[in-house]
Amino acid sequence: MLQLQNVTFTVPASDTSEEKFSTKQTIINDVSFTFEQGGFYAVTGPNGSGKTTLAKLIMGINPLTKGKIIFNGKDIGRLPINERSDAGIVYGFQHPARFKGTTFRDLLSIALGSDDEEKLVNIISRVGVCSMDFLDKPVDSKLSGGEIKKIELATVIARNPKVAIYDEPDTGIDLWTIGPMVNLLKREQEENNTTTIVVSHNKAFLEAADTLLLIKKGKIAYTGDLTGAMPMLEDLSVCTFDEFCQGEDDAQCYR
Amino acid sequence: MLNAIDKKVLKEVADLKGIPKGAYNIRKNGKLEGREVSANINIETNEKGDGIVIDIQPGTKDESVHIPVILSQAGLHDVVYNTFIVGEGADVTIVAGCGIHCSGNESEGHSGIHEFHIKAGARVKYVEKHIAIGEGRGKRILNPTTKVFMEENAQAQMELTQLGGVDEARRVNEATIGAGSVLLITERVMTEKEQSAESRNDITLAGTDSRTNIVSRSVIKENSSQDFYVNLTAEARCYGHIECDAIIMDNGINQTIPALKALHSDAELTHEASIGKIANDQLMKLMTLGLNYDAAVDRIIQGFLA
Repeated sequence: MLQLQNVTFTVPASDTSEEKFSTKQTIINDVSFTFEQGGFYAVTGPNGSGKTTLAKLIMGINPLTKGKIIFNGKDIGRLPINERSDAGIVYGFQHPARFKGTTFRDLLSIALGSDDEEKLVNIISRVGVCSMDFLDKPVDSKLSGGEIKKIELATVIARNPKVAIYDEPDTGIDLWTIGPMVNLLKREQEENNTTTIVVSHNKAFLEAADTLLLIKKGKIAYTGDLTGAMPMLEDLSVCTFDEFCQGEDDAQCYR
Repeated sequence: MLNAIDKKVLKEVADLKGIPKGAYNIRKNGKLEGREVSANINIETNEKGDGIVIDIQPGTKDESVHIPVILSQAGLHDVVYNTFIVGEGADVTIVAGCGIHCSGNESEGHSGIHEFHIKAGARVKYVEKHIAIGEGRGKRILNPTTKVFMEENAQAQMELTQLGGVDEARRVNEATIGAGSVLLITERVMTEKEQSAESRNDITLAGTDSRTNIVSRSVIKENSSQDFYVNLTAEARCYGHIECDAIIMDNGINQTIPALKALHSDAELTHEASIGKIANDQLMKLMTLGLNYDAAVDRIIQGFLA
């Protein structure tokens, strides 16, 4: 239902020597993949591999350089962010924006399209926020990392998305909150048939996913279950310097 | 007699649908339009006849006084000197403000010079809103001044707002804060077209354990300009903070100049200031929630100035 067809994203190269006289750097390189309705996908890979960029391409935050994004039969690859949101795609940011003078209630009302108290309460109870006082908290720099991530999650869920993309939802969340967060996303997936795409390094999300996409150097290096991905993930977790030493005569590996 | 335009102006500046309840003084085109006093709040014309004295009895609780000004006479530049005496232990809300309705080519202006004497233990919320409307091409000029003198253990919260329509504004706020007293000032100014606004603030933390928080929120659109100056001087053990944020749009320009002066070794003064466009991550967030670009900008500005 959400198809990426030859999706490519390039930016002006910061260091032209890397790609031998090229003035462009390819961040996402000809990626094709289909996300099925109601599936739970984890997107993982090393830092700088293109995970977040891929997620932002789907939302329209980054503009496509080439390729198509087909959602329910329609090419949405050139639509602005808000129209993709209206079509049912919503994105939870890794580092959510902080506002001056905007409260959680304001954001939730925009997401819901209503400031009806009963509907707001329904959403905050769904995401496990107990205190009504929390609704009137300003979404500013005074919020803790955990609080702002809860707000981010709630605003995504309030949109009742067909496709929910969560970019590293566990950033700033304590270890004891990750389990309930995974359960919440699974519950939303199962009860509302939400296609759920989580960008994460966290094993709890990788284990919860039906399908794992491993991104490396802007390409999908692996799709499948976690068991099949483990050898590659373990390799990545042991060594993150392989691209510096491979092919070097005097490099010595102590693994 | 209030006409439809007057009522519209009153609604904008004081959120009033007509004549307010409780004590009030309505000034229209430089003249008294209506006045009511209460058992605890007296309003009298001052000796010089160029303003009023609002005398709030000690211990007055949960009462409000409205003193809106309406200006709709082309060519009139009204200057008024108002004095507020807030008695010991009183807890009141004062709603002021000026609305200009300009329908001609001549300029119109109002300078409201407000002096507050806030006695020991009193609490005051002061809400001042300035607007200018009308189809006329004359300049609309508003130059408000507030001078605040706080005795010990008093609290004052001042919300000063100018949201559009005013061509020129020179705003002055001065305060001397006594021991244990707290002054909170929030100034919100939006300018557009070719408008200009200047705000000069001189706040002195004079008494031990006095505190202040000065917040300035500016939105500068199109070809308008705003300058914000604040001098925060500490003469005792005290705490003061300045927070000034300006959002510039189109060709808007802004100067923000906060100054901290500690004349006592136990003074604690801080400031944060920022000038810039609307943050991209805020726009992106609201667009992911379904707002288009323009609606997202409006929503951010609305929250910023709320």
